[in-house]
Amino acid sequence: MEGANIQLFLGNRDLVKSSEVYRSEGKAEARTEARPTILVVDDERLLADTTAAILRHAGFETRIAYDGFAALEVAGSFRPDYILTDIMMPVMNGVELAIAISKMYPVTKILLFSGQAGISEILEQSKARGFEFPLLAKPVHPTKLIESVRKLNDR
Amino acid sequence: MTSNQISAQLFGKTNALTERAKSFLAAIVATSDDAIISKDLNGIINSWNEGARRIFGYEADEIIGQPILRLIPLELHHEEDFILSKIRAGERVEHFETTRMRKSGELFPISVTISPIRDDNGVVVGASKIARDISDRRRADENRFRLAAIVDSAEDAIISKNLDGVITSWNNGARRLFGYEEEEIVGQSILRLIPEHLRQEEAEILRKLRSGQKIEHYETTRVSKSGAIREVAVTISPICNSKGEVTGASKIARDISDRKKVERMAVEAEKIATTGRMAAAIAHEINNPLASVLNLIFLARRADVSKQEIQNYLATAESELERVSHIARQTLGYYRDTGSPSEVQLRDLMQNVLSVYRSKLLAHGIVVDAEYNDLRKIRVHSGEIVQIFSNVISNAIDAMAQGGKLSIAIAQRAKTERDGLQIVVNDTGHGISREHLGKVFEPFFTTKGNLGTGIGLWVARQLAERHGGHISISSSTEPGKSGTIVIIDLPFENSGDANSVEADAFGSSAGIR
Repeated sequence: MEGANIQLFLGNRDLVKSSEVYRSEGKAEARTEARPTILVVDDERLLADTTAAILRHAGFETRIAYDGFAALEVAGSFRPDYILTDIMMPVMNGVELAIAISKMYPVTKILLFSGQAGISEILEQSKARGFEFPLLAKPVHPTKLIESVRKLNDR
Repeated sequence: MTSNQISAQLFGKTNALTERAKSFLAAIVATSDDAIISKDLNGIINSWNEGARRIFGYEADEIIGQPILRLIPLELHHEEDFILSKIRAGERVEHFETTRMRKSGELFPISVTISPIRDDNGVVVGASKIARDISDRRRADENRFRLAAIVDSAEDAIISKNLDGVITSWNNGARRLFGYEEEEIVGQSILRLIPEHLRQEEAEILRKLRSGQKIEHYETTRVSKSGAIREVAVTISPICNSKGEVTGASKIARDISDRKKVERMAVEAEKIATTGRMAAAIAHEINNPLASVLNLIFLARRADVSKQEIQNYLATAESELERVSHIARQTLGYYRDTGSPSEVQLRDLMQNVLSVYRSKLLAHGIVVDAEYNDLRKIRVHSGEIVQIFSNVISNAIDAMAQGGKLSIAIAQRAKTERDGLQIVVNDTGHGISREHLGKVFEPFFTTKGNLGTGIGLWVARQLAERHGGHISISSSTEPGKSGTIVIIDLPFENSGDANSVEADAFGSSAGIR
């Protein structure tokens, strides 16, 4: 009997090369300018890369992480003013990351970014633990995104 | 009775009471199960047989010569005066039911027949008394009345029929369920209660009954006097005579229309929940590339980008849009389930489900290994099969929160009674504990707390069975070897019967009030 054996390879698309992927350079990096800093976290690499590019053009100094643990590591040295994070990610979801960040670096402002309706449970759980974060629904126009990040200062 | 009269009655002529005949009579008296006692007109006992000893407990030598009142409870002593007055007048007292007292003092019900004894001149000289202990009969009567009362007050319909299918009894529950009065239905054929297209059921039921088999909790539909469909669970047991031959059947039918209605609602609710879960997964798959496309266009529009960069952005945007349309084709298309079955390749349905859960699988670090050998197409309701697959895959993902391997195989079944396809889904997750494994197909059973509805697998089973198929689960929680295997069998040919019954039951639900 003839048959087909199909292996599904999931993910690993790396369409936009980014020069900004985190390089570990020791503790709290020296800031050259007084530009606002933001860490973009998304397991969807293309989205993380393009979002970071847009924010960089909008005047932010950016870093990128593709999962929650990498994000924690970057945040430790980069100490960003803002974190923009996806919610549904492998290993550590965006809400867990946000809770960890707000405990460790309370001044960092966090914006959740999600394309999925089914995350209300995760948000409920974080609310039950006393954490509430603003949420932006994907897809969002880049100008709106920039505006939302800037507005975080007013909160 | 005089001895001549006795002789005439027994042997057709007087003076026939030879010694032989007398010993014959004596033998009858001695071996009778009834108490046979004689007494004189003063009420003094002068003979006492073996039956009397067994029933009353006195030996012959301790009671002969004693007054009969010894056998009569104090408060009934007046009966003896009445009996003696009858006897003196030459009358018999027949089947007189009263209470007597054993030697132990125990009172018991008894039926007595008392006849005058005459000497050869016809003068009454005493009385013979034949007494039967009716405790057992009384008890049987009481049981019978009690059972009759239970049958009559039962909520369920309780019906008996003979082996020709003719109704022989009909209780109140049956009247309520089917609308017929006892008088109008007893003597009629049981087929009056069976919808036309299910009449072949009765032949099968009768065949089983004749071979002495019981039919338990069989769910089917019946029709009431007004023509309304009744969904019932019936238990039918053979009724045997004292020789053990089957002479008929008792049938207990319970109205499960309400339960069926709730079950149907639960199935619909689960379908909606599954659709919701899939919609969330689909949304994720579509919104991410859309967000990337918006970003890429924004970047391409900037004033300072080179032509080459613009080309790169647009090419990437294009491939993202292709990804969106791929997802849309694969997922949304299958939700246009027309309600009638169509020929499909099961692997396509499975691939669609996998693409919907792609990012969840990725997020949990799950490797998928799929092997498809389903060369033949199969005729199914695609939406329902997607529902089953979606449920099983989503359970596997939940079980492998820390990653693992999801193996899927679809192949033609080898050597079974019916040709079909077998889908095997094997995960390396935490497994299902032994005490839970038996309950996974029960409605509202969940180990997922608030996150589970508890009816996913139950619905999956209903849907598989509606396709004439079957779903089973085995699992191990042994550390290092844990995992769950779900096997779904779907026949190429759905057995027409089950399908039409089901379709009818579902189709007519609107008519059930």
